[in-house]
Amino acid sequence: MPSTVTRDRRALLVIPATALLLVAFVYPVFWLLLRSVSDPVWGAHNYATALGEVIYLKVLWNTVAISGATTVFCLLFGYPMAYTMVHAGPAAKRILIYIVLIPFWTSILVRTFAWLVLLQPKGLINDMLLGIGLIAEPLELIYNRTGVLIGMVQILLPFMVFPLFSVLSRIDDGYMKAAANLGAPPLPAFFRVYLPLSLPGVLTGCMLVFIISLGYFITPALLGGRRDIMVAQLIQEQIDLFGNWGLSAALAMILLAGTALIFTVTYKVFGVKPDIRA
Amino acid sequence: MTHTTLNQAAHHAANETANAGRRRFLKAAAAAGAATAAPLLCGNALAASHLSGRHMVHTTWGGVYRDAQIAAYCDPFSAATGAEVIQGGPMNAAKLSAMLESGKPIWDVVDVVDVQLAVDSRKGYFEKIDPTVVDVNEVEPEYVHDYGVANIVWSYNIGYNTDAFPTGRHPRSWADVFNVAKFPGKRTLRDRVFPTLEHALLADGVAMESLYPLDVDRAFAKLDTIKDDLILWKSNSESQQLFGDGVVGCGLILNGRGYDSHQKGAPVNIEWNQNIRSVDYYVIPKGAANADVAMQFMNYVTKPENQARMANRLAYAPTNLDAFEMIEEAVKPWLSTHPDNASRGILIDIDYWRDNLEPLAKRWTEWKLS
Repeated sequence: MPSTVTRDRRALLVIPATALLLVAFVYPVFWLLLRSVSDPVWGAHNYATALGEVIYLKVLWNTVAISGATTVFCLLFGYPMAYTMVHAGPAAKRILIYIVLIPFWTSILVRTFAWLVLLQPKGLINDMLLGIGLIAEPLELIYNRTGVLIGMVQILLPFMVFPLFSVLSRIDDGYMKAAANLGAPPLPAFFRVYLPLSLPGVLTGCMLVFIISLGYFITPALLGGRRDIMVAQLIQEQIDLFGNWGLSAALAMILLAGTALIFTVTYKVFGVKPDIRA
Repeated sequence: MTHTTLNQAAHHAANETANAGRRRFLKAAAAAGAATAAPLLCGNALAASHLSGRHMVHTTWGGVYRDAQIAAYCDPFSAATGAEVIQGGPMNAAKLSAMLESGKPIWDVVDVVDVQLAVDSRKGYFEKIDPTVVDVNEVEPEYVHDYGVANIVWSYNIGYNTDAFPTGRHPRSWADVFNVAKFPGKRTLRDRVFPTLEHALLADGVAMESLYPLDVDRAFAKLDTIKDDLILWKSNSESQQLFGDGVVGCGLILNGRGYDSHQKGAPVNIEWNQNIRSVDYYVIPKGAANADVAMQFMNYVTKPENQARMANRLAYAPTNLDAFEMIEEAVKPWLSTHPDNASRGILIDIDYWRDNLEPLAKRWTEWKLS
């Protein structure tokens, strides 16, 4: 058992991180909060605008809807991917990890532009589908919600796969064998044994993807249609064109509050903590 | 002598009349040991070195534009005056506005677009241009502003893909661009309310001279007619990609980007009819530490030989028309201030947009969401 002195010394280790958080997170958030109620004059008018006017409500709803859909698709694609990675042989596992990682190391802007080229009416994907005769007219894969989701799901997939991978690799194969031994067919065994055990990973992945999506900017701007405006785009416009820090801060605070709410509700409803070890 | 006091001394000196002031400054600086007497190179005894030991921070947009400004303005200015030009960019409007609010800007010269100049100069964000230092007599009057020095002129042009519409059978007016029956396929506009409303009104038959003040309702009604055939671009590279790959047949492109695509062999061309000119200005943030150096830099930018260098490099147009004598023939037809092109377009009304931008930008978002 460590002595009191060592424990005190260990406490010193958190000082750098705490200091960083104070400077890089607490202070800016506090500053934003202050601006949202003081710019240009004191009061709640920025919140009244953000939550009272149709365009801001529509954009907030867009943001939640796009983030939600991105999370669902990431889970649908990410879960089987993580499962395969966990159960693959060492060589295949390494290759799969790199397949997920390499796009992760590429700039978001570059990847978004790559999607522009791939998805457009005369792009690679449409050319291929037209060529093999699967479709007669080019599919509208871009400048609409479909384009936004394709781009965001691809970019955010690693945030789903890695927490899942980490949790799934710690699930003992013995549980599924035991379930089979006791007569459970594969599907019920998966849903009643494996899935509940993997829930912390699912929650972490979903939370990460959803929260990162909320602040997305470049991808919806480039791949989306006229209507696919997310909050970050409005914030950027308000600051860039008008130096309107008050309204921008209010919109940012609403996003932050929404995120905190989702976090709390998830925790209460599922009674599981997201796996922070992931 | 500290840096600050040196700056103050220099500032003081620059405010006095020409040579006497400069000489005194040089003496003061040399006495302080901050500057050594550099060799006096040309006719104007002090020109080559009167700013040696001084510096300024130049901030502009990224990419080839920045490179061209460094080559056309910054490097030769350094060579001519001895001042060091530090690149502070890239320009970011949010960063600039935060800096201006704090009152302690770290940038001395910043490149801003005309509408932003109009909006922010009213807020008192920029230093007033000193007419005793900056000589704007040779600059076209429509590009002279109390709080900025025009750096380049560019324009919003009708662009088209030459595979879809070969030159000669291409859209020649905004009415054509809005005519989906005559010119089928997708079209593109910029995702900004200005000057999109102008384009819609031109398409609806309003004459260029009578555009302002804009008939906003009429403009949005006209935009409704191409709603389903419209792709909005956010970045200039995106516009080049849309035209180059033939995703759109026609629409809006900036003249410089049309030129760039054309030069690179993409099937893209531009039309000059009904173009709308716009200007990038250099401004000095209020309270900039090296405002006096910046002011001399501004003066340097108004000179024809320097503007010609910029045009030859990137096909952005001069505001001092004497520059045309030094611009390559092949580049001239692409320049917005070339008389043949300027006569077929108008200059955007930045005062109108200064007064109406905020409500109209909101309405633009509303329209997009509808």
